[in-house]
Amino acid sequence: MKKILIIDDDRIFAKVLGEALIQEKFTLVEATNGVDGLTVFEKERPDFVVLDMKMPGLDGIGFLKQLREKNENKIPTPILIVSNFSDLTQVSEGVSLGIKGYISKTEKTIESIVEDIKRILETEERLRQKTQLGK
Amino acid sequence: MAIGGNLLFIVIGVIAVLAIIGYLIWDRGRIKKITALHETALNRRMYELAILKELGDRVGYSLDVHQIIDIITGSLHQFIEYSVVSYMLLAPEKVIFKLHLERSVSRAFIDDLRTRMLGSLSALLDREFKKDQVEEVISGAILVPEVDDPIRSFFNIPLVIGEKVVGVLTISHTKAGLYKEEEMTILYKIVGQASQAVTRLQDVVKTEQEKLNAMVESMADGVVMTDTDYRIVVVNPAAKIMIGAPDKKEISIFDFIDNLGGKFDIRGQLEESVKLRKPHLADRILLNDKFFQIFVFPVLSKTKLREGEVLGGVVIFHDITHEIELEKVRQEFTSMVVHELRSPLDGIKKIAEAILGKEVKRDSSSFEEYLQMIHQNSSNMLNLINDILDLAKLEAGKFEVHPVATDIKEVIEKRVAFYKFLADDKKLKLSAVVDKTLPLEIMVDPEAIKQSLDNFISNALKFTEKGEVTVAAFVHNLDKNITEEIKSLGTNFPTAFPGTLKIKAPVLVIAVADNGVGVSPEGLGQLFSKFKQLSSKAMPMGKRGSGLGLAITKGLIEAHGGEVGAVSTSGVGSVFYFVIPLLLPTKS
Repeated sequence: MKKILIIDDDRIFAKVLGEALIQEKFTLVEATNGVDGLTVFEKERPDFVVLDMKMPGLDGIGFLKQLREKNENKIPTPILIVSNFSDLTQVSEGVSLGIKGYISKTEKTIESIVEDIKRILETEERLRQKTQLGK
Repeated sequence: MAIGGNLLFIVIGVIAVLAIIGYLIWDRGRIKKITALHETALNRRMYELAILKELGDRVGYSLDVHQIIDIITGSLHQFIEYSVVSYMLLAPEKVIFKLHLERSVSRAFIDDLRTRMLGSLSALLDREFKKDQVEEVISGAILVPEVDDPIRSFFNIPLVIGEKVVGVLTISHTKAGLYKEEEMTILYKIVGQASQAVTRLQDVVKTEQEKLNAMVESMADGVVMTDTDYRIVVVNPAAKIMIGAPDKKEISIFDFIDNLGGKFDIRGQLEESVKLRKPHLADRILLNDKFFQIFVFPVLSKTKLREGEVLGGVVIFHDITHEIELEKVRQEFTSMVVHELRSPLDGIKKIAEAILGKEVKRDSSSFEEYLQMIHQNSSNMLNLINDILDLAKLEAGKFEVHPVATDIKEVIEKRVAFYKFLADDKKLKLSAVVDKTLPLEIMVDPEAIKQSLDNFISNALKFTEKGEVTVAAFVHNLDKNITEEIKSLGTNFPTAFPGTLKIKAPVLVIAVADNGVGVSPEGLGQLFSKFKQLSSKAMPMGKRGSGLGLAITKGLIEAHGGEVGAVSTSGVGSVFYFVIPLLLPTKS
């Protein structure tokens, strides 16, 4: 069972997405800001992270930077940014920090976000198997 | 008899012919003389005109008295004979003494000339000059010590510009008895007209320069003009303040280079603009907390003689701090709308999708929770929309208040009771202290008071984590000390209340005091402006708002003829207050 971490201060979004993910048999862990997100990440080592951009305290970009610092300058887990702020500089900064995707909250339904998460996880899985076979 | 008669006749005839011839010869001489006189006069007149025209052409672009006198002295020889033509001109701290020698003279001649001219100048100006103040420049023929002819003819003309004597023009000769009145009249005339022309032009230039200076001086933008060697010709106070040298007298391009700290290559940009002969919009720079948009222009001559010639360059520093601030406020507002409207609305939509998609059962606990979320989100959004609409009214100056006889004590107690629940939730003490002598009824708009109180109380609760929030109401009389009045209420404000108010009349004071995070002094000034919600590091998570409440309160209270304000000590607490002129209902 894959473990997914949702870092978002938007309670409704976190709840609706969380319930949808539980129905898809994922395990769920949550945080409402970047600082808590880092703590939960270290403790739970999730398989996937859904990250909001604009949060009080440490925001999404701040979370990504600190996560890299703590993990030998690599993002150890696939991360999808789901946010209302589709600022292009933030998108490119996120990409340069190693995220898997950046999607706009309001333009996507919960269903399609769940689909995106599943697809990214499957691709990751295939890649991992390939590299293992290669060894 | 006949022969004698004939002879006589012949003699008379010959005499007559001779007389006629003689007359004719004499007359021709006379005519010639007259013509010659006419010719001389004409020549002089022509010379006069030529000089004046030449002067006119040259002074068209030069107001240099020096240069004009040089023009006159340089052409005088065509018309007057002299050994030396010279002039003395006043310059700051010195007297310029320039001589042109048509013929060689001795040193003694020149020394004598200098003494005489300096004497005239002293007499004209009623001022003493020292010998070492005189700067001598000699041109023309060489000095020959053997020529020991002294000055035998000498004529002085004062040089007057704008009713002020600026020097003397002198012609001198070793021959005696020269310089008759006639010649001098013309010389006077020429010098006089030249002076007039210069005076007139200087007046025009001075007025224009004053106008221009006044304009440049008063400009809010920094203006710097340089010549082609980057020497500063004009720099206005705004530009001096900008580089932090408001009182410095002599400003050079290096003052700018040093103080711009590499943010703007003033020299390079001027060079480019002058080279390309094109105005140039340079970057925006941040200098001492201010943003400047910089423009660079070449200065091209517009006079006919030097049309298109580059005279230098101008750099204008346009202060755009205010525009940038507005831009930021707009961005913050957009960001606020995204967060406070789009997110909750999107949340509602996603809940609806989840319910419609049957992911949530109607009898589950989640369903109940979702309904509560929808309720909360829609209330928040509605409040925000109301705030924005109120703000639109505020901007249009359409805040209407309808004062009626109101029991202030009751209004306050009701609001305190309403917020009790929220305060208890945060374990904060919320109480009201109302002056016992407060009139039973005061003329105010109860809705406006309620809304203002709501804004103050909800803010106080939001920004206070520990301690208490107190709502106080009392009447301030002009002859009483406001601090004493607060003390007699039996309460203590966490920070000093202002000793004096703007309104000079008895007022109703309502204040909300808290032990919260407090507001920084620079933050206090912005509190009541639109779209400013102060970020506070101590601000609890998820507690954002539209930030419009205080601006609306200000509008409502000002519509009552009152004033709003806040005092705060960072980390200790704040007091937000409003005062309304005390108006009691008329007894019927």
